[in-house]
Amino acid sequence: MAMQDQSPTRRTVLSHAVAGAAVIASGAASAQPAPAARVKGPLVWLDMDQQALDDAYDQAVYAPNAPQLHKRRQDKCKEVRARLGEPRRLAYGPTPVEMLDIYTTKKPNAPINVFIHGGAWRAGEAWEFCDAAELFVHAGAHFVVPDFIDVIAAGGSLMPMAEQVRRAVAWVHKNAASFGGDPSRIFISGRSSGAHLAGTTLIADWKEFGAPADVIKGALLSSGMYDLKPVRLSKRGAYVKFTDAMEDALSTQRHLTRINCPVIVAHGTYETPEFQRQTRDFAAALKAAGKPVTLLTGHYNHFEMPETLQNPYGLLGRAVLEQMKLTAQG
Amino acid sequence: MNQAAKVQDAKGPLVWLDMDQKALDDAYDQLVYAPNRDQVHKRNMFNSDRVRARLGAPKRVAYGPTAMEQLDIFATTKPNAPINVFIHGGAWRTRAAKDYAFMAEAYVRAGAHWIALDFDGVENTKGDLLPMADQVRRAVAWVYNNAKSFGGDPNRIHVSGQSSGAHLAGCVVTTDWKDYGVPSDIVKGALLCSGMYDLKPVRLSKRSDYVAFTDESEEKLSSQRRLDRLNCPLIVSYGTFETPEFQRQNREFAEAVKQAGKPVTLLVGDGYNHFEMAEMIGNPLSLLGAAMLEQMKL
Repeated sequence: MAMQDQSPTRRTVLSHAVAGAAVIASGAASAQPAPAARVKGPLVWLDMDQQALDDAYDQAVYAPNAPQLHKRRQDKCKEVRARLGEPRRLAYGPTPVEMLDIYTTKKPNAPINVFIHGGAWRAGEAWEFCDAAELFVHAGAHFVVPDFIDVIAAGGSLMPMAEQVRRAVAWVHKNAASFGGDPSRIFISGRSSGAHLAGTTLIADWKEFGAPADVIKGALLSSGMYDLKPVRLSKRGAYVKFTDAMEDALSTQRHLTRINCPVIVAHGTYETPEFQRQTRDFAAALKAAGKPVTLLTGHYNHFEMPETLQNPYGLLGRAVLEQMKLTAQG
Repeated sequence: MNQAAKVQDAKGPLVWLDMDQKALDDAYDQLVYAPNRDQVHKRNMFNSDRVRARLGAPKRVAYGPTAMEQLDIFATTKPNAPINVFIHGGAWRTRAAKDYAFMAEAYVRAGAHWIALDFDGVENTKGDLLPMADQVRRAVAWVYNNAKSFGGDPNRIHVSGQSSGAHLAGCVVTTDWKDYGVPSDIVKGALLCSGMYDLKPVRLSKRSDYVAFTDESEEKLSSQRRLDRLNCPLIVSYGTFETPEFQRQNREFAEAVKQAGKPVTLLVGDGYNHFEMAEMIGNPLSLLGAAMLEQMKL
């Protein structure tokens, strides 16, 4: 499957959106005539009209260097596998996509980080999201990256993806000892739509999956979505066939009572307004619910943020090592 | 902006290689090729604050008589430890040692002292780069003479630099150390990231508006013309999103060092621009951080 979409139309959207935003922001009739100047439409979410909301769920509008960073991540993944060796690839479920990659550490009975990749729910594969594997492996932890169905193949539903990701976590718990992992020290991480899915593992009813209620000991959720209503109202509704039941079941922020582990949430200050707000509001909701939460921000855009997980002294890297009680050298 | 997106104005007379004045000026203007310059600088300062919060404030010591001649020492707890001396960039006129503390933790945790130098900007030297080169050389000599006072091993000093700091670091590794009263092999290895090693094209560019190049400074501070003095292994690097000149300078310098029969490794950061390259120096799991630690045998 291709990486995140970068179609020419999106590049066009970028220039139009920037020009349009400038005109709206200036509010001056004497402003330079902008080719894509537009009148603000009816508000559809908070202070946003349809175009603004669509843009707020379109990373390319706010991260013009996205293609550069995608290639950089893929290159990094190839280097990482060249150094660490190919991962063990095992099935966690019956369908062909239900496989996960395990980058193992040499330490016995080691903690485990399960990473859920992003890609707007419709792109990305495990192999191209091992860029942070060395951080964990060198620190003495296993790094596990599951593959899962994409929303297009799932007929527009996010439910099978959430279900698969939960089953992958349960599989890791049940089979940890087989690869030297400690089933009582499983942590989860995710970014973008993967942080949304990782969030839904925190509110799972683990009885259904044969795992203990406290199977996850901590989570790192970077640049995710926790309330699906505005996503549903955005142009993402064109390929995700949201229903009331799906929106409610997979909006982590509406099920906070089920969360029973410390959560680190993070966003970049160069992300879209909605991706900043989603994380900020989710952190505030967790805090209000009395749950342990840490909010991290830095001067990064949506695709730069995850690179800090490649660095044990980076924003996300050091936070996840601290959460797992690890140090860079293991 | 990438190269393909640059506006095709009518090309003027060539002033350097295949470049007209505008193209050469752009090739020495990072912002033209790295539109996220200010963003990356903000996060360098932010990440430097975080490192200081974790490691504590550095020991700040004078290496010379003027107020500017000070350096920051982030000390490791290991005894008799190797030392990395970092020379910051900023087109010779901006930035300070404190903006680069974000790199320190990778070295301190690995068992090395990490030192960042402050020195004059070219606007304080009447446009002359020679006093700046003298300052960073004196600073390295100071580190050699005073290493034991902070638990450092004077026989394991490495130098790193980025951008105009890599230019100055290039001058350091081609110094006649007799002038400074220290051994000629004082520097055991260096990482030169995105630097300049031949000042002629820089002199022809708009950087001459604020750097008062002379034949003397161009000649003395073009380290590519001083390779006979080089006596330590070099890592030279550039990113593929850098300006054509910053790519060429590093590529050709590495080739010249190789032709001179000296040890050199050229590392190319595929997909990195000028400022993103520097960020890698602070990541032990990245192209540049890993290479520097390996050179220091850490």
